[in-house]
Parts: sequence; structure tokens; C-alpha cells
Amino acid sequence: MKRFIFWMLLPTFSIVAVLTYYPTIKGVFLAFEDYTVFNFQNIQFVGWQNFENIFMDPNFFIALWNTVWWIAFSVALQFVLGFALALLMKEPFKGRGIYAGIVFYPWALSGFALGILWSWLLNGQFGLINDILIKLHLIQHGINFLSNPFYAFISVIAVNVWYGVPFFAIMILAALQSIPNSLYEAAEIDGAGAISKFFNVTLPYIKPTVVSTLLLRVIWVMNFPDIIYGMTRGGPAGATNILATYMINIVYYETDYSKASAVGLIIVSVLMIYALIYLKFTSTYELGEI
Amino acid sequence: MRKKKRTVSKILRFFFLSLYLVAAVVPLYWIFLTSIKSPKEVYAYPIVYWPKHVSFESYKFLFGFANFAQYFKNSLFVSITASFLAMSFSVLSGYIMARYTFRFKKLLIITLFLAQMIPAYLLMIPQYTMFSKLGLINNLWALVIIYVNVAASFSTIMARGFFSRIPRSLEEAAMIDGTSRIGAIFRITIPLSLPGIAAIFSFSFVNTWNELFTAVLFINSNSKMTVPVALNSFISKAGIQWNVMSAGLIVALLPTIVVFAFAQRYIVAGLTQGAVKE
Repeated sequence: MKRFIFWMLLPTFSIVAVLTYYPTIKGVFLAFEDYTVFNFQNIQFVGWQNFENIFMDPNFFIALWNTVWWIAFSVALQFVLGFALALLMKEPFKGRGIYAGIVFYPWALSGFALGILWSWLLNGQFGLINDILIKLHLIQHGINFLSNPFYAFISVIAVNVWYGVPFFAIMILAALQSIPNSLYEAAEIDGAGAISKFFNVTLPYIKPTVVSTLLLRVIWVMNFPDIIYGMTRGGPAGATNILATYMINIVYYETDYSKASAVGLIIVSVLMIYALIYLKFTSTYELGEI
Repeated sequence: MRKKKRTVSKILRFFFLSLYLVAAVVPLYWIFLTSIKSPKEVYAYPIVYWPKHVSFESYKFLFGFANFAQYFKNSLFVSITASFLAMSFSVLSGYIMARYTFRFKKLLIITLFLAQMIPAYLLMIPQYTMFSKLGLINNLWALVIIYVNVAASFSTIMARGFFSRIPRSLEEAAMIDGTSRIGAIFRITIPLSLPGIAAIFSFSFVNTWNELFTAVLFINSNSKMTVPVALNSFISKAGIQWNVMSAGLIVALLPTIVVFAFAQRYIVAGLTQGAVKE
């Protein structure tokens, strides 16, 4: 029996050990070394040098600050809009299955490809969005959304929201549909109106889903450079960098692998602290069996 | 009075649902439109909403000059192989996790969850060093192995979820009827969990097909590029030709749209069951 269990588990756990955990440990060491593309042979321990370099870089703090806003706005709006969409879809209507298939599809697509796609839609001269805004007389001339730092940052968040709404809608819709009807009937007998039913039945019932979805979502959004990379690559002048794109740009353009690993380590530390605080405040049992 | 109120809320609901539909569909439709415009119409002002004649020039360029068929084949190979392996691995380990208790089980489950939190781009540099020592840079198998790793840990969690929902008594009944344990798994448990297994496969396929950052670091010869790497290389060249880029995007999005259309129900069910307690 023990043998059977061992062999069945071996493929998954050996690959996770070799390709996730071993590299993670290596990555921690790397962050304290001086490994660049031009220095394969003579890698040395340099202590906190990489971190000092990062903390000297004003772009790092811009990226850090951007990450906070990026997560806060993206997740909050995805959540509110996804919740609204799920509520609208809760009651059956004709063609709901097809409707769900169509509105949920962006979530299955490549964030990077969608980023490129949106950079065309937001193009200053030939973009669809500008043309619509002009036709609605909201603006007079096309806006170069992605070359203005402020607009660019708003744009990447808007696209991320567009991309992430289906995920929340799917999760919340599933939770809404699992609420037993008897709960609503009982509330009605007690004389509850629509608003009271929402706050006393719906919200408490779906709370575990909301709590665990928010936890996962913040982690994913923080680790999700794809859309930004497709739209702006972190530009103009670092205005749309979050920590993830900041790190990737170091890998691709500076090829300073140790400095990039140090940024990665900072990201993971932030996530760990976040997860611990979040779990402390929401009490773990409400997370269900994630 | 009550009836009137209901009609109003119905109309409002219809309005908002339609609004969201437009927001979800129009961007993709616009890219499709751009891809079948001639270059002249792409850069025409005022913007052309209805192309006068359909042009497949951009697709011709893509598959003729830009060698997109090769990138497409590379991506298909990497995604299908990796998803198939990850699916097989996670069915094995997910089944064990659902059915047996043993020492260190909790620890193993925690390692899978923690693995979800470690961002792939933190791993990619150490992985790059490992694979370059093995001479596997510029090799599609390197991508396959890395993608199996990412997919298998998440899929095991999902597989455990749906296996534990299938009553053990069904297997036991089959074994009383004279089937072996393995036979019972293959005749009873796996057929019953096919929707979940389909969800695992399509979920891995979608993620793998879309992966960019590791692939860009690991692949640097033109013939080995995957579709996202090719799209990325389109950007870096000075000035994007938007009709060609749009055609590339359509081709890049197509497989995931097809997979999503087939497996949508399973993906959604698998996700909600695997991640959240009912």
C-alpha cells in the first residue's frame, strides 16, 4: 500500500520539488549574489548589495506605489462589477448559458494578447475608443492614452478590470446559485424585503466564497504583468510599472539576474505578509477548503 | 403596481446585461475587423467601420512571410504535451490525496498551495540556469517540463476536489463484483470524473498556450518561437503593422476560444469546486 501511494504521488511531487522548490531556494541565494549575463563564471556572494541598488532606484518606489494602486483599484472594481454581473445573471433568462459563454470568454484569453489588442483600441489616431468618445462629443481630439503617464495608468487598470470581471462573476454566480431557496422563503415569512434578504441571507451565505476569492485575486493581480506588458511594457518612463513588470524589465533589458531575483524576493515577502494578515483578520475557517 | 415594478426591473436588467455584452464582445470584434481590412483602410481617417472589401492580405503575410504556421505548431506541441502530462500526473496524485490518509499528507498539500503563491517569474531565472547547464535552452521540451510543473500542482488540488466527491462505496461495490482496485478506478472513478478531468486539461491548455515570460527567456531562435513569443517580437520591431498584428492576435486567441467554448461548463465547475467549498 505504501509503495502504491509513493509511486502514484512521485511524478507530481518530484517535478514540483525540482522545478518549484529547488529554484525558489536558488532564487533566494541568487538575490545575494552578482549573477549577470556577462558574469557566469565567477559568481560571488555580495550580501545586501542588490537590495541596496534597488532601494537607490527611484523607479522601484514608483513601481511599488503603482502596485498598491494597481491592486486596490483592479480588485475593488473587478469585485464590484463582477458581483453586479452575477446578481443580474442569477435569475434564469432565455439564452443565459450562451450569454455566460460569451461574456466570460475574455477570462480564458491571453492577458498579453489582450494587452496588445487594447493598445490598438486605445490608439491616439486610429483607435476605436477615441473615435467613440469624439462621436459622443465627450472629447474633441483623440487622446494618446498610452503615452501620457496618467492616462496610461488609468488605461491599464481599466483593461485589467475588463479582463477580471468574469472571474469574480463566475465564482460569485456559482455561490449565489448554491443558496437554498428555503432560506429566502423563510426570510419572506419573517417579512424580509429584497434589501433585507440581500443583507441577511445572500451576503452571509456567499461570504466564504468572497473571502477566498479576494485572497487569491490579490495574489494573482500582484503577480500578473501580462496585460501591462502587452500594453505599455511599463512605460511611458516607468509610469505603468508594477513590481512584476519592473522585475521582468530587469531580466530582459538589464539582464541582471541577481537584481531581478532580489525584486522577486521582495514581491514574495510582501505577499507572505499580506496573506498572513489577511488570514488573521478573516479567520481561516471562512476560507473553506481551498 | 407590483407588476409595473417588475417590468421596470426587467428592462433595467436587460439594459445592463446588453451593455456588458457589448463591452465584452466589441474589442475582439474590432480586432477581427482590423485583421481583414486592407492596410489603407486600417490607417484611414475617418475610421472605417465597415470595410468595403474583405482583404486577407494580413493573414497571407502572417503565414507566408512571418512563418506563423511554425509558431502555431510549436505552441500546439508544447501546450498539448504539457497539458496531457500534467493531467496524467494530477489524476494519479489527486486520487491518492482524495482516498488515502498517510503520514506527511498535510505537508504535501501545503507544499502544493504554497507553490501557487510563488510567482513563475521568480523561478524562471534559476530554471534558466538549470536548463542551460543541461543544454536545454532553445528547446521546446524545456518549456513542456516547466509548464507541467506549473499545471500539475494546481491540477492536483482540483483533482483531489472532484475525486473526493465520488463515493468510495461505488469503487468498493465494483471490487466486490470481482474487479481489481485499478480496474475499479478505471471503470468507475475515472469515467465519473471525466468532466473534471476535461476541465483540468483545458485549464492547463489555456494557461500554457498563453505563457509568455519564460518562453521569451528560453527561446531565442526564430524556428522555435511559440505564438506569444512571436507576437512579442512583432512589438519590438519599429512600428507595429496593425492589420498583421491583429491577424496574429486572432490566430493566437482562436485555440483558447475553441477550448473555452467546448469546456466552458467544466472549467467553471472545476474551478468553483476545486477552489471553494460548496
